[in-house]
Amino acid sequence: MSTSPLTPGGASVPPPPIVPATPSEAVVQSFANMSAALTGFQPSFIRPFLDPVNLSGTFYSFAVVQVGQAMMDALMSAYSALSSQTPPLSSQAIADALLEISSPTPSTQAQLCQAIVAMWYLGSWYPPPFQTNGLHQVISSQAYTKSLVWNLAQAHPMGFSAFTFGYWSQAPASLETFGVNTGNGGGQ
Amino acid sequence: MSNNGASPQYDVVIVGAGVSGNLIAKQLGLAGKKVLILEAGLPVPDSREEYMNNFYLALAKTPEAPYPALAGRTGTKDNPAGKLPDPATLPTPRATVLGLGGAPDVSYLVQAQSWIATHPDSPEPPQNPPTAPTGEVRGLQFSSTFERNGGGTSWHWLGTSLRELENDIRMWTKYQHAVDWPVTYDELQPLWALAEKEIGVAASVTQQEPLEVVGLEYPQGYQYPMQPIPTSIVDQTVSQGVSGLEVPGTLPDTPGGSDPQMYDVFVTPTPAGRNSEPYDDRRVCAGNTNCIPICPIQAKWDPTVTLGKALDTGNVTVSYQSVAYNVAVDANNNVTGIDYYQWSRDEHGNLQKVSKSVTGKVFVLACHAIENAKLLLMSNNWKGIANKSDQVGRNLMDHPLYLTWALAPQPLWGYRGPLATAGIESLRDGEFRKYRAAFRMEIGNEGWNFATGDPYTTALDFITGTNDSGLNTDGPNGTAQRLGGTALALKLNNLLTRQFRIACMFDQTPLQENRVTLDVDPQTGKPNNVDGLGLPRPKVEYGFDPYTMEGFRMAAYVCSQVYKQMGATEFTKNNVGGTGDFTYRGVNYHYYGAGHVVGTHRMGPDPCTSVVDATQRSHDVQNLWIVGSGSFPTVCTANPTLTLLALAFKSADSMIAALNS
Repeated sequence: MSTSPLTPGGASVPPPPIVPATPSEAVVQSFANMSAALTGFQPSFIRPFLDPVNLSGTFYSFAVVQVGQAMMDALMSAYSALSSQTPPLSSQAIADALLEISSPTPSTQAQLCQAIVAMWYLGSWYPPPFQTNGLHQVISSQAYTKSLVWNLAQAHPMGFSAFTFGYWSQAPASLETFGVNTGNGGGQ
Repeated sequence: MSNNGASPQYDVVIVGAGVSGNLIAKQLGLAGKKVLILEAGLPVPDSREEYMNNFYLALAKTPEAPYPALAGRTGTKDNPAGKLPDPATLPTPRATVLGLGGAPDVSYLVQAQSWIATHPDSPEPPQNPPTAPTGEVRGLQFSSTFERNGGGTSWHWLGTSLRELENDIRMWTKYQHAVDWPVTYDELQPLWALAEKEIGVAASVTQQEPLEVVGLEYPQGYQYPMQPIPTSIVDQTVSQGVSGLEVPGTLPDTPGGSDPQMYDVFVTPTPAGRNSEPYDDRRVCAGNTNCIPICPIQAKWDPTVTLGKALDTGNVTVSYQSVAYNVAVDANNNVTGIDYYQWSRDEHGNLQKVSKSVTGKVFVLACHAIENAKLLLMSNNWKGIANKSDQVGRNLMDHPLYLTWALAPQPLWGYRGPLATAGIESLRDGEFRKYRAAFRMEIGNEGWNFATGDPYTTALDFITGTNDSGLNTDGPNGTAQRLGGTALALKLNNLLTRQFRIACMFDQTPLQENRVTLDVDPQTGKPNNVDGLGLPRPKVEYGFDPYTMEGFRMAAYVCSQVYKQMGATEFTKNNVGGTGDFTYRGVNYHYYGAGHVVGTHRMGPDPCTSVVDATQRSHDVQNLWIVGSGSFPTVCTANPTLTLLALAFKSADSMIAALNS
């Protein structure tokens, strides 16, 4: 019975974590801007001016550990190229290009973009290419309590409500209030 | 064990710190009696922060997710493979949602191994269990789970505090089906009032008045302790949508007879054990939509509230990590003491146990319908006690739960408010109960979270281009779409805000062959499967009779009528060949457990056919009370917690009388 992973003494020793270099402010901001395009949320919502939680930095570093610096660098370069085009592309067009929406067989890089959307929406890491037996995991408590899919329901993460008694008997605030970028190339 | 003629150590020894145990401890403590509670699991934590963190980090947010001896956390540093703990390694293993349908190395309850072709390499197509010549379907999995820690399973009760109906408890007299309860409706009225005060039930008698049509009555002038919980927009939408809807008592070709009367379908707010105003130093509900698995702010009553009051009497002691394994009975049919293992983990994490005994005057088994039965059967060297009726462990029931789900034509904004705030209670009674199971219908406020694991499933569908939700069909020729950016956000907003579900819970027939036994080899007398303390595990056999399944057929019909009347599109999916799947009259159904585990030590007036009397006192063993929902002779049409708490008040009074006589 000492082999139970749940007993303190029986737990296997985890491998030493790979600690990436702390990303620069510019890289984190670029990752946040790309995340905003991919998720359809407002950039200022993804990375507010005052951002003590810093999910952008957490998710960037987490993804680097999962897929390696080279793959992240390549993705960030691709985003940089798309976002500096003249005339500027809409954020919807950038999202569609990075996710290769029109392709029936999205590339590894596009699948990483899917995983980044899932990180923001669900607070969890679904290793690309989303194989069913992959080691899904919730990235952190804050990644769950800040996960954005609940905003799309105009609600709150289950178990983490900032609303007050009786709010459920009234219609919610607008989708924009929940941080969604509804006006930029949206629609179906 | 023997007390060697010494005075008993306690007036009362209670096994289990849950709903019944804590209430009885409090009442006896207030009466000046010295009480010991033996709780198998870990202590109630000082703060629920640790439990909340377990919940946040659980990928599968199942009812058990927040609680100790965790299951459901996958891919974490401590448990990288996401493997479920082997019940054979745990001191207090319990049934878990993630362990359902599994082999004994993940499922604490030992259940008839699925005869279903579930192995991925099997050439056989999946199929459901066969129907026996009696019309029954056997070999089903009992799908309810429970907790074994301080506070018990009702850490994650929903808070639904409906009263039983008068005809619920006199089914034999009224409908010649099942059995009557040995208590009357009038007798229960003041007990319900006590239970509602203890919990702090939020409801309005005026709002409940329409349920007079099913026989719901309150004493003149009765008022609930606090104002009702507001209904959700989901409730309001369903309520308006079903206006004028009537359904017949039975469908054509119902076996046994027909009830052609038309019954009104209407929505009423649900009495709730959650605060609409500050009560007992607890906050008002903030609508965290998380009553199950855990209320983050304890706005919902749970048994730890009553445990605190019990401890405040100064007469109650709790011994945690204390697993009772033998109720010692002398030649005069009196309990002399309880033997238990006090367990701990050493510095290497290895389980240690010390055998101890405690003596008392009165003994109470309050450790869950399945664990009560297991403890009775384990006692006296596994020959059993208090079982002259041979009913211990039999008549195992649940509220088998049939879930249906739909997309409303306009947003009704689920995922907000308490998990459920209203239901359709108007079909809980009628002449049809001669022929088929009655049911209540709970309207959910959590979108398709229960139904499909949403918002995760639908979100992943549109991120990756799959269609597990059934909603991703707008691509060319009905194929799945892949979306990103604002298009993805708006699509999910459109779908998630229109999701809702209805859960139907049935008054299942008590069957002798639905039972809990010890998982012991009949040849050798040795256990097949044990827990981490070496104690035998519960073996469960379960099935449905046609009366119960006819209830499912009706429920599926009523739900479809409700959705049709509302203009909603139904997405209910019933698979084949999995845990909880069965076929009735050629139609496939899926049921979940409701956690309402009932019947394993049924109460009744006759010692030959029941285990306990109307005070939940053993017919056979004079100073033994066996309490909780296991005493319910039938599961009825209301969620059981309110009534099991009410019965605990009655039991406490009878114990005080016995101790004082």
